[in-house]
Amino acid sequence: MLKMQDLTKTYRTDEVETVALNNVNIDIEQGEFVAIMGPSGCGKSTLLNIIGMLDTPTSGHYFFKDEDVAGYSEAQLGVIRKHNIGFIFQSFNLIDELSVAENIELALLYHDIPAAERKERVAAVMDKVGIAHRAKHMPSQLSGGQQQRVAVARAVVGNQSMILADEPTGNLDTAHGQEVMEMLQRLNEEGTTIVMVTHSPSHADYARRTINLLDGHVVTESMRA
Amino acid sequence: MLFTNYILSAWRNILRHKLFSAINVLGLAIGLAAVMLIALFVRYETSYDSFWKNADNIYRLQITFTAPGREPNPAVTAPTLIAPFLKQDFPEVTHVARAVPLNAIFIQDNNRIQEEIRITDQDILNIFDFEVIAGDIETALSDNYSLILNETLAAKYFGNENPLGKSITLETRVFTREYKVAAIIKDIPVNSQVNINAMIGLFESDWADDEALFKSWFRSYSFTYYTVKPGTDIANINNKMKDFIDRHYPSNLSGDPDNKPSDEVSLSSLNIKDLHLKAAGLGQQRPSGDYGTIIAFTLIAILILIIASINFMNLSTARASQRAKEVSIRKVMGAARTNLIIQFIGESIALTLISLLLGLVIVEISLPFYNELIGKTLIIEYGSSDIGNILIVALFVGFFAGIYPAFILSGYRPSENLKSNKSAETKASINFRTALVIVQFTISIALFISTAVIYSQIQYTKNFNLGFNAENILLIKGIRDNEVRDKTGLLIDELKKLTDAINVTSTSITPGVYGVTASNMRTPSMAEGKTVLIGDHKVGYDFFKTFGIEIINGRAFEESRNEFEASDVLVRQGNAAVNSMVINELAVRQLGFNSAEDAIGKSVSGMNYLGGDLTKKYQIIGVTSNIYFESLKNTVRPEMYVLNPYFTSTIALRYVGNPQEIIENTRNIWQQQFPNIPFRYDFVSDAIEEQYWEEHGQMTMITAFSGLAIFIACLGLFGLASFTAERRTKEIGIRKIFGAEVWQVVKLLVWQFTKPVIIANLIAWPLSFYVMSRWLESFVYRIDDMVIIALCLIAGLAALLIAWATVAGNSYAVARTNPIKALRYE
Ligand SMILES: Nc1ncnc2c1ncn2[C@@H]1O[C@H](COP(=O)(O)OP(=O)(O)OP(=O)(O)O)[C@@H](O)[C@H]1O
Ligand SMILES: [Mg+2]
Repeated sequence: MLKMQDLTKTYRTDEVETVALNNVNIDIEQGEFVAIMGPSGCGKSTLLNIIGMLDTPTSGHYFFKDEDVAGYSEAQLGVIRKHNIGFIFQSFNLIDELSVAENIELALLYHDIPAAERKERVAAVMDKVGIAHRAKHMPSQLSGGQQQRVAVARAVVGNQSMILADEPTGNLDTAHGQEVMEMLQRLNEEGTTIVMVTHSPSHADYARRTINLLDGHVVTESMRA
Repeated sequence: MLFTNYILSAWRNILRHKLFSAINVLGLAIGLAAVMLIALFVRYETSYDSFWKNADNIYRLQITFTAPGREPNPAVTAPTLIAPFLKQDFPEVTHVARAVPLNAIFIQDNNRIQEEIRITDQDILNIFDFEVIAGDIETALSDNYSLILNETLAAKYFGNENPLGKSITLETRVFTREYKVAAIIKDIPVNSQVNINAMIGLFESDWADDEALFKSWFRSYSFTYYTVKPGTDIANINNKMKDFIDRHYPSNLSGDPDNKPSDEVSLSSLNIKDLHLKAAGLGQQRPSGDYGTIIAFTLIAILILIIASINFMNLSTARASQRAKEVSIRKVMGAARTNLIIQFIGESIALTLISLLLGLVIVEISLPFYNELIGKTLIIEYGSSDIGNILIVALFVGFFAGIYPAFILSGYRPSENLKSNKSAETKASINFRTALVIVQFTISIALFISTAVIYSQIQYTKNFNLGFNAENILLIKGIRDNEVRDKTGLLIDELKKLTDAINVTSTSITPGVYGVTASNMRTPSMAEGKTVLIGDHKVGYDFFKTFGIEIINGRAFEESRNEFEASDVLVRQGNAAVNSMVINELAVRQLGFNSAEDAIGKSVSGMNYLGGDLTKKYQIIGVTSNIYFESLKNTVRPEMYVLNPYFTSTIALRYVGNPQEIIENTRNIWQQQFPNIPFRYDFVSDAIEEQYWEEHGQMTMITAFSGLAIFIACLGLFGLASFTAERRTKEIGIRKIFGAEVWQVVKLLVWQFTKPVIIANLIAWPLSFYVMSRWLESFVYRIDDMVIIALCLIAGLAALLIAWATVAGNSYAVARTNPIKALRYE
């Protein structure tokens, strides 16, 4: 599904140059569940952002479905992203002023899908993550676990083939974290590629493969037996 | 301690939010500056004549003649014969005095200078408290050889010498006599309509040779001032004037047997303090102010203040929501709600005071330009209550702008705001802000429409076909002066020799001057006793040529025919000649002719309506199109023109080439013939402009101030837009991550400000339409109401475009930012 060759990302701010990713080579197949681990500041989020085409590498190649997108413009990346990739964040990132259903519908809003179909798909995905009875609630009226379920629904409602999750359980207690992980696992079993950043070894265990980063380098890749 | 903490926190807050603070301060400063400028103007205009000790009880009597079929002709003066009856008929009246304007030539050594002085009753001293510098003003008015001068005139004629007891010769139209300076008074302040430079005592016997001054009930020669007992309701006197007129007037104006004198003559009294703004008639002693303008500007000032305060309030509440965390922490640390309210109102007032200082600087910088524009010399008096007043306004604004955010903020519950992932904005406060933006834009759009309507009407009057060619005509005034009158013919002959002069004529009417002389005319085919009132104008040869007036039928006066109108004296002596006259199309219709062609050669007879008793015979020799010599506020009327240069007052000269040269050349000719008489001239085009001067002045000021209002509103919108964009960065980031493109984000942000502007339009349109169509009604010839509707649409579109332009730049910048940046700092 995606392949990175000698990928490097450096940030330059006021004379200080930070190498966030250094010669990273990664291959991720369609349908995989990959966990990315490593200490704080090692470049996990940076890697995820580049995979998600929210950011561009400084050098190297990034093949997404055999297309080298490394030099693509923001607008070109936007189009590929919108049709292929869904996102889940540690802090949920729901829009406070929109209801649960509207938050989920947002991911379809920019897709040229007629309103009636949008409603149907939103209803279907809400059923799937078990949040249908809260459709009209505002995010502030939900618990963290419920909010993250809405975020998961939003990430998959557009039939995205890959979901990128940056510490999706970071703000949740054990029980709710478990719930979200199970949901991701189910999605993976249905064929969605999942790339997840996590600090929790037990949550990393849900993935079939774990990539360990240290100071922008890939140090180990371990496969689950 | 706490207080310094507040100040520190306020100051840091101002610094931290530089853009908001700058917009807040600048918007309010400009608003306060505009309000101060308008207030200075309004205060000055409303201050006229309030400095007289007895101002509340001093009134001026004014007369209005309404000849049947003509518009009422209001004067600010009254006939001299009325004054003596006032005290006799009304017990409330305590003192009455006439002040008759008189042009007198002051002769000192060999110098002759014309001055306008007043012939006054001695009782005037019991009405006005003139400040006497030297001499005895009482005795000065008790004889007919004493003169009272103001300081300026005293200095002009006597320099540093003591003028008391010195003599000066006054030449008037009736006598030449030596006067002794008996008293000096201080100059009357400029904010007065009682403009007296010099006075001599009024003794009717002095003027026995004057044909009308103390003999006519129909010529209003004198300012008539009177005082009433304190507490008198002037309406009582005004109401009794009808009976008063019928009791004293010997006849009516028109001679129509069906009309009582009071049907055609009315008298009213105006308090001295209202003379400047509310007097309707001609003959004011200083240019009148306009009450409507004062109201309009006061309104604009209030609107600007509202717009500026709304900005202040909006930006403060917006910014306040970002301080939820500070508030929560202070509360956790034990701050009481009142502490917080004091803190926020204090901050608001601090910002207002900074704005006020900046506003004062703006006023000081702009005052010279402003004064030039309105032709006044206004200043801020720092020592007086000026500063106190504006300080009160500023504190008021600061207090009310601060009170809303103060209560909102202090009401936050810390538990809610210390949770990181929550917007501190409530729906209510967002709605409140939107409502305020709607108010601002309603005001701005309404001002825009009003300005555009006034402008369109002025353009319309400028482009209106007046029926004559106003360009390149020089007017030479004052040929009615006895000395000049007999030599007018010679003067015209000399002027005709100038190479740049094309036509020269003389006339009793000129464009831009209200003409009142009219005669009752009848044709033999009219019913017995029936007459039509027609404007009676005396002109010289070439009048129609000089003014470029079209003769649509018949001919103009021709020199070969010797068709001068017979004088009253000759008619009395039995001269029964038929006089030639040219009439306009409206007169053709009113006299009952079928067409211009039909009128030619017909006989008409008539007599002057000002108490004349002579009937003259006329024959119509030509018909002109209707011409508009007067302001388009008046309707065109039936007019007749007769050849009678003796009664003309002005020479009109059509020229080519450089206006400055023609002025010099005519001046030279004038000075050769009349070395002692000042040369006075005007251009027809200027005289016409002057009629609309009031509208032009209003126009410039209204344009400037509504521009300001719109600018301040946009400043606020800009601040609000950048705030909103900041508030919505997270949302925008999320939308972008889920596929929104830049233009979609811009659309989202811009649309947020489109709705209020559209609603503002829907409120402003009917409002402006109502007000402006009422304003237009004061013009007889005016633009169509459809134009207002078109201007509403244009204003609406302009407001939208301006709002979009204000918001779009910021929105674009926000929409362009990488979404991960927006989400990083969660
Ligand atoms: N926009 C940026 N500008 C400058 N430096 C950045 C930027 N984004 C990330 N970095 C730096 O790049 C390095 C990697 O950051 P990154 O956010 O990818 O770490 P991370 O592994 O996700 O850490 P954490 O576990 O704390 O989320 C860090 O040193 C960080 O300071
Ligand atoms: Mg991270």
